[in-house]
Amino acid sequence: MKGLAPLLLGIFGTFAFSWAGLTLIPNMQIGQLSPQSDEEGTDIYPMPPSGMVDRGRHVYAANGCAYCHSVWLRPEYAANDLERDRDYAPKLPWGVRRSAPRDYIFDRPVLLGKERMGPDLANMGKAAPSEEEAAPAASPTPTPSPAKLAQETYTAAWHHRHLYSPRSINIDSNMPAYRFLYRKRPIGGERSADALELTGDDAPPAGWEIVPTFDAQCLVAYLMSLDQSHPLSEVKSGAPPAGPVASPAAPPPSPKAPTASPATSPPPAK
Amino acid sequence: MSAPGIPLKESTIPASAASDVEQVERALIDASTRVPVLMFYASAIIWLLIGTVMAGFVSFKLHAPDWLSDIGPLTWGRMRPAHMNVMVYGWASMAAMGTGIWIMARLCRTTLRHPLLLVAGGGFWNLGVLLGVSGILLGQSTGYQWLEFPPYAAVVLFVAYLLIMSWAVLMFRFRYGEQIYITQWYLLGAFLWFPWLYAAAQLMLFVVPVQGVLQAAVTCWYANNLLFLWLGAIALGIAYYMIPKVIGRPVYSYHLAAIGFWTFALFSSWMGMQRLVDGPFPAWMITASIAATILALVPVATVGLNHHMTMQGYFPLMRYSPTLRFTVFGAMSYTVFSVVGVLISLRSIARYVNFSQASIAYSHLGLYAFVTMTLFGSMYYIVPRLVGREWRYASLIKLHFWGSAYGIGLMTLMLLAGGLAQGINQDTPSLPFIESVQTIEPYLRGRSLSGILLTFAHFIFAFHFGLMLLGLGRASTVPTFLNPVETEGSEVHL
Repeated sequence: MKGLAPLLLGIFGTFAFSWAGLTLIPNMQIGQLSPQSDEEGTDIYPMPPSGMVDRGRHVYAANGCAYCHSVWLRPEYAANDLERDRDYAPKLPWGVRRSAPRDYIFDRPVLLGKERMGPDLANMGKAAPSEEEAAPAASPTPTPSPAKLAQETYTAAWHHRHLYSPRSINIDSNMPAYRFLYRKRPIGGERSADALELTGDDAPPAGWEIVPTFDAQCLVAYLMSLDQSHPLSEVKSGAPPAGPVASPAAPPPSPKAPTASPATSPPPAK
Repeated sequence: MSAPGIPLKESTIPASAASDVEQVERALIDASTRVPVLMFYASAIIWLLIGTVMAGFVSFKLHAPDWLSDIGPLTWGRMRPAHMNVMVYGWASMAAMGTGIWIMARLCRTTLRHPLLLVAGGGFWNLGVLLGVSGILLGQSTGYQWLEFPPYAAVVLFVAYLLIMSWAVLMFRFRYGEQIYITQWYLLGAFLWFPWLYAAAQLMLFVVPVQGVLQAAVTCWYANNLLFLWLGAIALGIAYYMIPKVIGRPVYSYHLAAIGFWTFALFSSWMGMQRLVDGPFPAWMITASIAATILALVPVATVGLNHHMTMQGYFPLMRYSPTLRFTVFGAMSYTVFSVVGVLISLRSIARYVNFSQASIAYSHLGLYAFVTMTLFGSMYYIVPRLVGREWRYASLIKLHFWGSAYGIGLMTLMLLAGGLAQGINQDTPSLPFIESVQTIEPYLRGRSLSGILLTFAHFIFAFHFGLMLLGLGRASTVPTFLNPVETEGSEVHL
C-alpha cells in the first residue's frame, strides 16, 4: 500500500462506520424513550426504581449474577421462552410477553445477561405469591412455619433461603451460595423477624440466627422488583388482558421509533 | 504493486545472505527494544498464570459450587469477570503490545527511543489491571461485560495506553523506507482502534450514559471489537510477519492481503449484536450483525488462502519451528473460530445455543486458539533475539504446544457439544429448567479436565521463559528446533 493517508483514513472510516451504525443510530432510534401511561396520565410504566432496588442492582452486578441469569425474554416466534414455566411454580410462565427496550429505560447498569446457566429472571418479582404483594405485613410475622415457607416459593423469605443455601431448595442446582451476604449472630432476646428459616445442616446452632445484611435485602428487593408483565403498546402481549393503553406517548425522534422494536417486524406467526 | 515486487525486503533475504549492515541494524533495534518488550512479556506471563488459576476456580465451581464459596472475593460471580479481564487486559493485551512494539520497530527499521518511558507505560498498565481486578474481587464490578473494571482503574489503563501507543506511532513516524508492509497495517489499525474503542465505550457507559438496553448494545459492540480490532488485528499482523519470516518466502499475494485487511476492518467491526438475537432491540441491529458475521468469512477466506499459499510446500517446517507451529495453529484457528461464529449466529441455531455454554467455546476459540496461540508463537521467535540465548529445551516447547492444543481442543468440543445439548433442553418447555443444568454438568467436568491441561502448559511455558530471562538459555547460533533437523531445513531462518 502506498501512502499513509488512505491507510489512516480507512482505519478511521471503518471504525467510525461501525460506531455510528451500532451505537449512534440506535441511540437516535431508541435512546430517548419515556415511560408509557394511559390517557389520563396514570398507570405509568415503567416507574423509576426505589433506592433499595437500585442498590440491589449493583449487588447483582458486582456478584456476577448476570453471567448465569438473563433478564430478557424472546418473542414466541423466536423461541419457547414464553412457553416455559418456573421450576418451582408449575403453570407460572417465565413471562407473558417478550421484552422491549422500554422495559429497561431506568436500568443502569442494564443487566440483560447472555447466558442461562440459571433461569431467566425477567419476571422474578411477578412470581411472588400475590397475597404477599397485597399484604406485605404478612411476612414479618414472628415465626412463619417452615412448612408454609416450603409451599410459598418466590417470596422474600424464599429468596433469602435460596441465596443462602441454593441446594436446600434444589439439590441439583449449581448456583453458588451467597453466605457472605448474611450474618450469623447470637439471638438477643427475641429472634429477628428477618432471620432465615433454615433446616438440617444449614441451620445455625441453638441460640444463633442467620440474618441478611443490607446488601442481601437490597438484592432481594431488586429480584422482587423484576416484573415485565405490564402491557406495552409496542409489544403484543400473550394471554393476559390487553392494557387500556393507547400510547400517543410515543418517543420523539422518528415516527418509526416505537414500532422499530422487532416485536412488530415480520414474524411468520406460528 | 505487482507480485514479484513484494515488499518483504527482510523476509525474502535469508539470514545468511543479509548484509552486515542489516545484521547490525537488527541488533541495534533488538537491543533498544530489549528491556520494554521483555518487561511486557514478563508481566503478561505473570497475568497469564494468575488468570489460569482463576479459570480453574471458574471451571470447577460450576460443578462443585460449594467449594470455597463462603468468601466474597472467591465467589464464582466475581472470579469469572476477574478471570476474563486478567486474560484480556493482563495477558493478551500486554503480550500483544510487547510483540507489536518489537515488530513495529523491526518493520520501521528504527530503534526504539527512550525505552524506559515505555517501561513506565507498561508499569502503569499493570497498575491499572491490578486496581481493576482488585476492584472486581472486592465487589465493585460495573456489570458491563469486559468493562467490569471500576472507572478509576479504567482511567489508569487509558493513560498508560496513551503513553505506550505514542511510542509505536512515533516509531512509525521515523520509519525508514516508503513501503508499508501488511503487518504494519494491522498494527497501526489496532494501535489506533483500541483507544477510540475504549474511549467511546467508557464515554457512552459512564460519562454520558446511554439509556437502558443501549448500554448492552455498546458493551457488545465494544467486546466484539476488542476481540477483533484490537487483539485479532494484532494476531493477524503477527501471522503475516512470522509465517513469511520463518519460512523465508514472501507473502503469496499482496492484493489478497489488501482485500483481507479492508474486509476484515469493515465486516468484523459490525459483529457482536448477534449475541442479543431477538432481544429488546430493533431487529435490524441484530440482523446487521448476523450478516456481518457471515460476510466476515470473506477476510477469513482471503487471509487463510494467502497464508496457505505462502506455506504451500513448506508445511513440513512445522515439525521443526516452534514459532511456525504455534502461529499456523493460531491462523488456522481464526478460520475455525469464524466458522463456529457463523454457525452459532444463524437464527435457527442461535435459538438453541444462544444462552448455552457454546458461546463460551466461541470466545475461547477466539481468545485462546487464535489470539493466544499466535502470541505464543511470536514470543518463541522474539525472546531469543532479545536475551541472546536460544530456548533451552525443545521438549518443554513440545509439551507446551500439545498441552495447549489438546487443552483448547477438548474445551471447545466439550462446550460446543454440551452447549448444544444444554440449549436444546432450554428450549424444550416440557422439561424442567434444572434438566438443562444437569445435562451440561458432565461436559463441564470435561472442560475442567481441559483446564488442567492448559494450566500445565502455561506453567511449563512460564518456567521456560523464566530460564530465558535468567540467561539460562542455550548459547548457540542455531535456533532450538522441535525435532532434529536432518538436511535442508537448516537453510531457512527458523
